[in-house]
Amino acid sequence: MEVELTEILEALCQHAPFEEISDDPQLNDMAKEIEIQYLRAGSNVITPDSLNNTLYFIRSGAIENLSKEEKLIRRMNEGELFGYSSLLRGGKSSQFMRTIEDSLLYLIPARWFLKLYEENDTFSDFFELAREVRLRMAMDSQSSDVSLMTCPISSLLRRAPISIHKDENIRSAAQLMTEKHVSSLLITDNDELIGIITDRDLRTRAIAEGLSYDTPIADIMTSDPVIMDSQDYASEVVLKMMEKNVHHIPIIKNGQPIGVINTGDIVQKESHGSVYLISDIYRQNTIEGLQSISNKMTHTFTQLVVADANTQMIGNAMSHIGTAFVKRLLQLGEEKFGPAPIPYCFIALGSQAREEQTIKTDQDNALILSNKYNEEIHGAYFESLSDWVCQHLDKCGYTLCTGDIMASNTLWRQPLDVWKDNFSDWIQKPKAEALLRLSIFFDLRGVYGDKTLAKQLNQHIRNQAKQHPSFLTFMARNANQRKPPLGFFRQFVLDGEGKQSRTFNLKERGIAPIIDIVRVHALACGSDKLNTFERLEDIDAAGLLPDGRAKDLALALEMIAMVRIRHQKDQIEAGEVPNNHVNPEHLSSFEKRHLRDAFNIVERQQEFIKFRYAGKRS
Amino acid sequence: MSSSNQQPETPSNDIQDWQSMFAEWAKDAPEGPLREYYRAGMVAPTTPLKDTPLLALDLETTGLDSKNDEIISLGLIPLSLERIRCQGARYWMAKPERSLHAESVTIHEITHAELSEAPALKDILDEILVALTKQVVVVHCVAIERQFLLEASLKVYGFPFYFPVLDTMDIERQAQYRPWWKRFGKAPSLRLDACRQRYKLPRYKAHHALTDALSSAELLQAQAAYHLDPTANISDYWI
Repeated sequence: MEVELTEILEALCQHAPFEEISDDPQLNDMAKEIEIQYLRAGSNVITPDSLNNTLYFIRSGAIENLSKEEKLIRRMNEGELFGYSSLLRGGKSSQFMRTIEDSLLYLIPARWFLKLYEENDTFSDFFELAREVRLRMAMDSQSSDVSLMTCPISSLLRRAPISIHKDENIRSAAQLMTEKHVSSLLITDNDELIGIITDRDLRTRAIAEGLSYDTPIADIMTSDPVIMDSQDYASEVVLKMMEKNVHHIPIIKNGQPIGVINTGDIVQKESHGSVYLISDIYRQNTIEGLQSISNKMTHTFTQLVVADANTQMIGNAMSHIGTAFVKRLLQLGEEKFGPAPIPYCFIALGSQAREEQTIKTDQDNALILSNKYNEEIHGAYFESLSDWVCQHLDKCGYTLCTGDIMASNTLWRQPLDVWKDNFSDWIQKPKAEALLRLSIFFDLRGVYGDKTLAKQLNQHIRNQAKQHPSFLTFMARNANQRKPPLGFFRQFVLDGEGKQSRTFNLKERGIAPIIDIVRVHALACGSDKLNTFERLEDIDAAGLLPDGRAKDLALALEMIAMVRIRHQKDQIEAGEVPNNHVNPEHLSSFEKRHLRDAFNIVERQQEFIKFRYAGKRS
Repeated sequence: MSSSNQQPETPSNDIQDWQSMFAEWAKDAPEGPLREYYRAGMVAPTTPLKDTPLLALDLETTGLDSKNDEIISLGLIPLSLERIRCQGARYWMAKPERSLHAESVTIHEITHAELSEAPALKDILDEILVALTKQVVVVHCVAIERQFLLEASLKVYGFPFYFPVLDTMDIERQAQYRPWWKRFGKAPSLRLDACRQRYKLPRYKAHHALTDALSSAELLQAQAAYHLDPTANISDYWI
């Protein structure tokens, strides 16, 4: 009579990787060779330097994985496997596996593990030793089924561009647009693209101004329009439209325009309308108007998440929106208090500067004033303007900074030279405690006003940082302050010290540590980028990290940030206030597994910078 | 082989000597599989528990009355205190001579169709005896298994079939025993599932002979880890 160990097979097939290969008929044969063992809490299953010939499946109970020095590495519970690392190294084990609860273990002979590992890619992928590879594949497979966010621009083009020579007049341009049913025309000279004209240009620049219909089109066109390459991603068009606040972008292939993308093409594909949101912001003349737009932001955010945008795109979009609020408020402020008496630059700090904002964010900003600044003459103006802008940003959902790092604080409203001295001081005489608080200033972007002021300051920071390696030592040490969790155990988050907690702060324990690590490397290689992903490209190019490690960090950040963004989206949809506190109970096993891998990368990279920038002993 | 200093012919009431009893029955049993079974013998009562070959067994029957009800399936799984070995697992279905009660069908999840194709118990009993040779049987609640197999053996061979048993229910009863002045509230349940939960063993779907055999095998390992002395003589535990 055929023996079927259904109970055993079913238990195995409820968990990865057996779940994914449950249709493999060999599994039944494998189940017949399984042995079962009951162990009380505190029993060693595997010890270092012993020979292991078994893949263990935890049917019930829990196991602790300890290093040779008995340092906690991870905890595992029902449905998890262990013993495979030693099997992949010929059976020699280097760690402890110990029961921490009474446990029932299924013992699968090594021969079966090695056979499936060899024959079945799905199975072997699960055990892939290089966790980075696993993470990479997870991210790749997640993004394979997406929309606008990953398709090339060319897939959005519906027709060849309609163009007109620059010497034609407004009337013939309007006639051509009507005839061809287009909302824009490319303006050419000797077959070369020199400008663009849109419906709106005809309305605002010609009709409203009362221009003659015989006026040459060149007089009202936008010269040197924003263009993009057909190889770029459609999502980048969205960001470009938001950044430049334009609604039509000619697409170029091999130097020739092959079409025009307008907001309509984008909106047809997706409905979040972040492009419209930005032009809406610029149209508002009252604080109430801006406030009502800020209420729509959560919708824009969730739509982006639903559209499978990656975290870089979402961070970009949210930051552009944030910047639009700042710009518009400063424009309104200048209308209220009059034009600025001297040049100044309003700078964004932290996540907004890195273009990595999410939905729930407070404001971090400052003001760089021209060196012509004279407290007595100009002080009152900039105080009023800054106070007004910061207060109104607060009303628009960008809450006041609890650390008071805002332009409204006189400390952070200084002439360029004072700023330079500040930074020289912080960099030349670093103090760990102070730097911890100040790290936010090292992500600094000019958003409004005379942006050359911000450029000069950033240049100064880069020069100083390069000349003072001890500063990097401090930054590297600070980047080691916030340790990622070890992983998860049942519904808990597990710390290196074995402490278990219900929730954890994904920003503090996952995202911030990566940003800190990357900032140190970026300062070391003199990168002028602010965005963490872009910084990583520079760091990789500078060869500061071993091959592939920059990519690993980017993947880890993407993984962690994506979990955070999804978590916030879920909170919004549940009518809660979005935050960074994640409860492992709400994570899928996919997310838990890959978060653990990501944390692992972060931890190793933290170790790496400690030694990389160790410097002299202080 | 008999234990050295003891008198072999009459095992005392204190020490159950299945080895000697098997030698006796081997003489009286009719020629055939049952005699072979007894002739193969049993481990000495002084064998340490940890070295005793164990075989978990479970029967499913048409009812609880061994006189009128019949065995319809039987599962076996070999084990030691260290390991349960799926590789040696065996499973038989037996076609009852009388028709199956409708209600027991729903309990066992065995269909009439499956049973109608199975051999009769008398045709597989020889095989079962071979499988049980020199093994100490592990069951949960000895009365049922022993009674039904005794009836079957009397019917098929005309001679009783006796075998040594570790009864996980009995072990649990002793483990949970409290003198009356320490008893508090309801007596602990001795059902297989309830016993398993006490040791944090997983819940299984009951009433499949092989699954239930596995269940009692795991329970015995757990009980051994808590309450039994692996070096003690098997005679301290078998009944």
